[in-house]
Amino acid sequence: MPELSIPLPSPDALTQPFWDACRERVLRVMQCASCEHLFLPAAPCCPCCWSDDLSMVDVSGDGRVFSYVVYRRTYHPAFPAPYVVALIELAEGPRLISNVIGCEPEDVEIGMAVEVTFRSAGDFELPCFMPAKAQEGQG
Amino acid sequence: MSRRAVIAGVGHTAFGRHADQTAWHLEVKAAQNAVFDAGFKPADVDGLLTDPGPAQGILDGITPHFLRMGAQLGINPDYSGSELLGGAGSVAVIQRAALAVEAGQCDVCLCIYGDSPLSNPASFEYGRGDEAAFGFFGAVGLHALAAQRHMHRFGTRPEHLGEVLVAARAHASRTPHAQRRTLVSMEEYLASEFVVEPIRKLDCCLVSDGAAAVVVTTEERARDLRMPAVEILGHSQAHSLSTYASPDHFDTLPAARSGPKALGQAGVRPADIDVALLYDCFTIVVLLQLEAYGFCEVGEAGAFVEGGRIGPGGALPVNPSGGLLAEGYSSGMLHVIEAVRQLRAEAGDRQIPEAKVALVSGHGLGMNSHTTLVLGR
Repeated sequence: MPELSIPLPSPDALTQPFWDACRERVLRVMQCASCEHLFLPAAPCCPCCWSDDLSMVDVSGDGRVFSYVVYRRTYHPAFPAPYVVALIELAEGPRLISNVIGCEPEDVEIGMAVEVTFRSAGDFELPCFMPAKAQEGQG
Repeated sequence: MSRRAVIAGVGHTAFGRHADQTAWHLEVKAAQNAVFDAGFKPADVDGLLTDPGPAQGILDGITPHFLRMGAQLGINPDYSGSELLGGAGSVAVIQRAALAVEAGQCDVCLCIYGDSPLSNPASFEYGRGDEAAFGFFGAVGLHALAAQRHMHRFGTRPEHLGEVLVAARAHASRTPHAQRRTLVSMEEYLASEFVVEPIRKLDCCLVSDGAAAVVVTTEERARDLRMPAVEILGHSQAHSLSTYASPDHFDTLPAARSGPKALGQAGVRPADIDVALLYDCFTIVVLLQLEAYGFCEVGEAGAFVEGGRIGPGGALPVNPSGGLLAEGYSSGMLHVIEAVRQLRAEAGDRQIPEAKVALVSGHGLGMNSHTTLVLGR
């Protein structure tokens, strides 16, 4: 994939810590000190209780495929079809849009266990997901 | 005495390619058609609300759509604005007009949708913020996520989505102004290529240049007009702004909340609806709405649409003019207009006998926003 032409994220003061953590190849989400809610994307207050007492916490990077689609048409030259876009539900709760890589599109299914992996694009490390069992034994 | 809002006039342009005209040409033509259909004169219009469509929400980053629209129509209304709710926008504009008219802010409110995305295709293929970094492009991707969930949870089959398209084309074959009037067989549907699996090319609505307009006024003002007024029996909105954080974001449309509210205001049940004008940007959205509005149980929309039940002559005709899938893409204003035509009994070959109550929906911004309108005569 010609990585440099990927439409890159545009971090702002809210989302910069998430992308900084990704650069360390860590998935980091927001945590509310008041109600312990974990959430993405970053927000100025807890979307559950409106507390301002927020911090960031590392999560496992394990999750499941909540839903997925297979792009069969190429919309952008950096993303030649076919490829999988999925809504991943992290083991800790938050959900994010990402890609499932490391397997054929036909092998992806709802509920499939996945784990995070990172793909370099420009100055970014993009959090993508691969089948959890595929990494077993790789240390 | 309380003021009651009614719909007094409707009008639109042809939908399709208008390479030689700007969206403004089209919007002005639709506005003229609607105002003259009602029997009003330009000077009667004292309210202007617009749904600019995807291509022209804010112009040059600063001028709101309604401002330039008003300038072109040469009017100085008492009440004006634009709604930016995507596919929920046209119904939202009618709702806002009803609220404004009933509150006495204006008496004759002109509601306009118009756009020319065939001349401006980039607006339909936008990436969604940081998610574009994962190749998540277009409204089709979002709706494919919802379709995949429905198929996984309930065993919904491609043929069920196909029923929606086959019905839409059959309806459109009886609609002289429809953009796609040719019939499609189930075999042809199933042979249609995937765009974003499980959504096929034929699951996607048309892209159209065109404009449509509706005039909302008071029951009192409508009394002396040339066309019978259509009553606004109920209307409501519901939004799911938490997006992915809502556990059921891809499984339940906000219509599950707006539907009972609007139907309750109108004092009707789903079984009382004679014709449903359901926003149909993708076939899956029709299935989700049949469930959310209570026309069938959750998970049973696939079986519900089998055997042509939503097609011409079916038990619940959905989008008898063909909808976004076959009549033309209008962000929902054509749905409002078709409901009015059915209730006025002026729908020609596609007229549903004794149509007295119509449900009209708007669905926009992915799964985020839903608008419901119940009309009657």
